[in-house]
Amino acid sequence: MNVVLTPAMLGQVVVSGLLAGALYSMVALGLALIFGVMRVINIAHGPMLMLGAYTTWILFDRFGMNPYLTLPLSAAVMFLLGALLQRTLVFRVVDAPELSSLLLTFGVSIALVNIAQLVFTSDLRSVEFLTGSIALGPIALSKSRLIACAFAAAITALAFLFLQKTRLGKAIRATSQSREVAMVCGIDVQRIHLISFGIACALAACGGTLVAVMVAIQPEMGQIWTFKSFLVIVLGGAGNYPGALLGGLLLGLIEQLSSLFLTTQLSEAVAYVLLVLALLVRPSGLLGGRQT
Amino acid sequence: MTPKALGALVVALIIAAVSFPVGAQGPVKIGASLSLTGTYAQPGRFQHEGYQLCQKDLNAKGGLLGRQVEFVVYDDQSNPATGVRLYEKLITEDKVDGVMGPYSSAISEAVASVTEKYNKVNVAPLAATTSIFKKGRKYMFMVISPAEVYLEGLIDIAAKRGLKTVAIINEDTLFPKTSAQGTADLAKKAGLQVVFTEAYPKGNQDFSALLTKVKAANPDVLAAATYFDDAVAIARQMRELSVNPKMLGVTVGGDIPKFQELLKGTADYIYGSSQWEATLPYPGAKEFNEAYIKQFKQEPSYHSAAGYAGCMLYAEGVKKAGSLDADKVREALLALKTRTMFGDYQVDKDGFQTAHKMVLLQWQDGKRVVVWPDDLSSGKPRFPTPPWNAR
Repeated sequence: MNVVLTPAMLGQVVVSGLLAGALYSMVALGLALIFGVMRVINIAHGPMLMLGAYTTWILFDRFGMNPYLTLPLSAAVMFLLGALLQRTLVFRVVDAPELSSLLLTFGVSIALVNIAQLVFTSDLRSVEFLTGSIALGPIALSKSRLIACAFAAAITALAFLFLQKTRLGKAIRATSQSREVAMVCGIDVQRIHLISFGIACALAACGGTLVAVMVAIQPEMGQIWTFKSFLVIVLGGAGNYPGALLGGLLLGLIEQLSSLFLTTQLSEAVAYVLLVLALLVRPSGLLGGRQT
Repeated sequence: MTPKALGALVVALIIAAVSFPVGAQGPVKIGASLSLTGTYAQPGRFQHEGYQLCQKDLNAKGGLLGRQVEFVVYDDQSNPATGVRLYEKLITEDKVDGVMGPYSSAISEAVASVTEKYNKVNVAPLAATTSIFKKGRKYMFMVISPAEVYLEGLIDIAAKRGLKTVAIINEDTLFPKTSAQGTADLAKKAGLQVVFTEAYPKGNQDFSALLTKVKAANPDVLAAATYFDDAVAIARQMRELSVNPKMLGVTVGGDIPKFQELLKGTADYIYGSSQWEATLPYPGAKEFNEAYIKQFKQEPSYHSAAGYAGCMLYAEGVKKAGSLDADKVREALLALKTRTMFGDYQVDKDGFQTAHKMVLLQWQDGKRVVVWPDDLSSGKPRFPTPPWNAR
């Protein structure tokens, strides 16, 4: 009863996988940044993406803004919220055992989802802006996913440029390599933590804005992104920034190809089996952990 | 106060309590868990509003057995295990007088074991899976048509228009699975060939690989056994991937106004099945529709109507039985045969619904039009569905 596999189908699925993967890379980079700098796994990363999506929805729905123009706004709002969260809560668990930070961010995650449920209700929302696709031979390229991929690639590139070239970026990497040495060199580590957390949340928010144009928005849309981002940074090497990039694209491809060759039900299982395998065989990830 | 006076007071209170039993009785408490959040939140909340309106209308007419009616509702977060815990709590801790069913087949199936254990009549207005009612359970009652016939109209139209092939996809939970199986059986009976079937997990948002396979199978009809969220995502991604069957039908979701609000023009031409529409010629349907809009500032969906009807049917059973006793209410509901604002009600000895009829809708220029069956339809189907790039 199944269909015969054609090159066009394979092409379509690879393209879909890469388009999704670029977005995974960008969002996961945020999680990798927080983990690299603070050794904190931020369970609230996905809900941050959800809030970014709602920011875009409000600006689109109430003020008629072009959703792609809301990107800097949604990023700025979430940068501030992220920084606030770091200053009030997260800084308390930076040096605590990892379980404390997991519990704290887990709590924050539940709180954010429930607040969103109260404020926005659990009604689905959508930003119906770009529908349809461009035909590239037998392959259909969804307009909204194409643009999301382009934005994600550009933002990820900017983030890397920032980390590599600017003084602040170098300070972030230095803190990520060794907090003590960074401190000795006169880097204000507290400030770096604050900024890194803000940037990470801004990256999640960018993801939210781009996702908002593609899928329906609801308060629980974020959690799956926490898991995906976590998978990505484990695959790529926790705290390894280029690894997040590679891991994202890989996850996108794995998901799509396994739903093509197996079934959609099994594709999630495949991704998590890989997670377990990665942890068993190469616990430091494909590119090794924490090199920056 | 002296001990003697205290004793007298206690005696007086006991006498007062015993001699005015009716006055001392509180409201009739009816418990339910509903999916107010989570994947099933959309239809679950419509059902909740149906219960709320039923409570209001019952109380306006003097309540039940001379007592006011009060719903005790908790949120099961679309999770069967939570539903089980909540019904256990409703019955043992809150000591409700009766219960009403939750949303979805999966949760109804899960909580049926609890309500059976405590001998509670469970009118489950939004459980459409046949097997729930065919397991020798005593107190389960069905209100809507079974899952198997949801897309009967889609298949019927397809066969009459000479279409040959159908692809069937479904969420991998109880109701959509049963519905997909039923659709496949109906298709084979109607002479259509089922060229592709696949299930996807609950909560799935990315259908690109699945729809790529559907596209390759190139069916005349795509029948999707969905709940709401997935129906929206599938429609969007079909457009993105230019998947162009001549007919696209979904089970749950296509009937909810929000479907069109979210999808705008993308919703047009999509067929959705419905258990009920406000425009159908059932007694009281129009009045229900008006009262509902007045109360909740939105149009009711069939989930609202089924919730309302289910609650009214339970009340009818209690009135006929003259008591809240489960066995008496059960006898009354088994014998009941009636036509409500929701359509016909009659059950077999298992509480399985045998009288209610489904309709098929199509979105036409942003409006729902009943296109099947002919005797209830308000318009003709727009056939075939044009390819996405031509609309």
